[in-house]
Amino acid sequence: MKHIIIIIIAALALTTSVKAQDELSPERKQAIDSLALEKVRDLSKYVSIIGNKNTPWSEANRVIDRAEELFMAGAEIGVSSLARTDIFYYKVRTYFERLMRLNYDRVEIEWYKIEYVSDLQRQPDGTYVGVITIFQRFSGYDQEGGLVYQDTTKKDITVYVKRKETQIGGRMIGFWDVLLGDIRVKETSS
Amino acid sequence: MKNKIAHAPTITTILLLVAMLCLAARGYPQRSLGAFELDETELYAMTKQVSQFFSRFNNEEDQFGKKYHPQNPEFRNPEKRRIILPLLFDNENKRTSGTLKDFFVEDLVGKGKGNYLEFLGGRWYSEVAATFLHQGREVNIILFLMIEKENLGSKWVLTNVYYPEFNKLFPKGELAEREKHFLHPMSHELDFMNIYKAFNHAQVIDFYASKEFQPDYLTLFFAEIKAGRMKFKSVDHLKFHIFQIRDWYFEVSYLNRKGTNTGWLITNLVYMTDKEKPAFIKLYEPWLRLDQH
Repeated sequence: MKHIIIIIIAALALTTSVKAQDELSPERKQAIDSLALEKVRDLSKYVSIIGNKNTPWSEANRVIDRAEELFMAGAEIGVSSLARTDIFYYKVRTYFERLMRLNYDRVEIEWYKIEYVSDLQRQPDGTYVGVITIFQRFSGYDQEGGLVYQDTTKKDITVYVKRKETQIGGRMIGFWDVLLGDIRVKETSS
Repeated sequence: MKNKIAHAPTITTILLLVAMLCLAARGYPQRSLGAFELDETELYAMTKQVSQFFSRFNNEEDQFGKKYHPQNPEFRNPEKRRIILPLLFDNENKRTSGTLKDFFVEDLVGKGKGNYLEFLGGRWYSEVAATFLHQGREVNIILFLMIEKENLGSKWVLTNVYYPEFNKLFPKGELAEREKHFLHPMSHELDFMNIYKAFNHAQVIDFYASKEFQPDYLTLFFAEIKAGRMKFKSVDHLKFHIFQIRDWYFEVSYLNRKGTNTGWLITNLVYMTDKEKPAFIKLYEPWLRLDQH
């Protein structure tokens, strides 16, 4: 329900004729970027909760469900590291479940403030697609509190933006539906 | 290419350039997260996406990555481009750190069309080095792709492949050898009873084709995939070949390293007139006629 309210508020803020969707003005692009960034921030928040060893198992599972709702069906996460350039592909749910079960006594997941949003391009069916880049620092500790693993990863997150309509009180209201897609996770040298 | 570089950057200017991108990090000062001091300087300076490479190249965003409104005087501002463009080169690479770069920058900030990168502007190609299993054996194959407009938008499409095994199938052959293999011009009167000779020497079957014949490696590749003899394994490396800028060609690759000169950067630069380009572009668009473009 909360999501529907957010979408409707966004719709009212952004609403114009359907025709206007063909060409995105810089102002509209900025508004859509904000919607997309909200989703990515939600994702970051969920990842931190899922990875936190203090999160109860049932709560982590509930958050995984919420996180999964952010994504298009079939979205995958492709992971590589500096030591191993092979890309390992995980379904979104599997990725989160692995994160929940990581074999550390304590995990710290921190997000850098930097966010970069690409231009939006249209794919043949008219859906806009963009990529948001964020950076994460992961630290894993052992029982004695010693740091046993640390990396900084760049996450390039696909964002799909589609104009949709819904009927509210007999009126058709247009809104922008934002869903996340595949994510490429790459370890950086930074 | 211009003969003189009226505004070649001095050492001071270059230092200012680096400072400019690093300024972004000062705008967002180091943050303390638990035991860590997260320094974001390098992340701001990094050209994080190809999309950002295009934006920086055209000077369409500020140092924080925020897009300029097209009405903003900073948008595509030539003087700002003069400062930003040198930062988009791999400065640890002799191919891109020489004076050729200065001529390139000077050509870009001068007046004229075609000096901005356009996503849908064509003449830029992706080169994907990938590993496949061909009949159970691990092999390296280069895939070439380009952006193609379709319906309401666009998509990446495969345009060619490079796999030495395919090339070996079609050796040019010595002229003397080629001249031994043909069907004489009255063969039709004999119901082509001699055509079996063409098929007796499988290695030179293509000598019996028209001089216009060009092997289509992408079709061969698709045939191998469809027959189940070729299986995809992994993407190993990616780079871009950009021919969009008038009289220049350059490559863009991702450099994952420490420092402020990282991310998607120009790793090769060649002065190439627009007349010369079609011969090179044929690798990426094999159907291209040399009189096109």
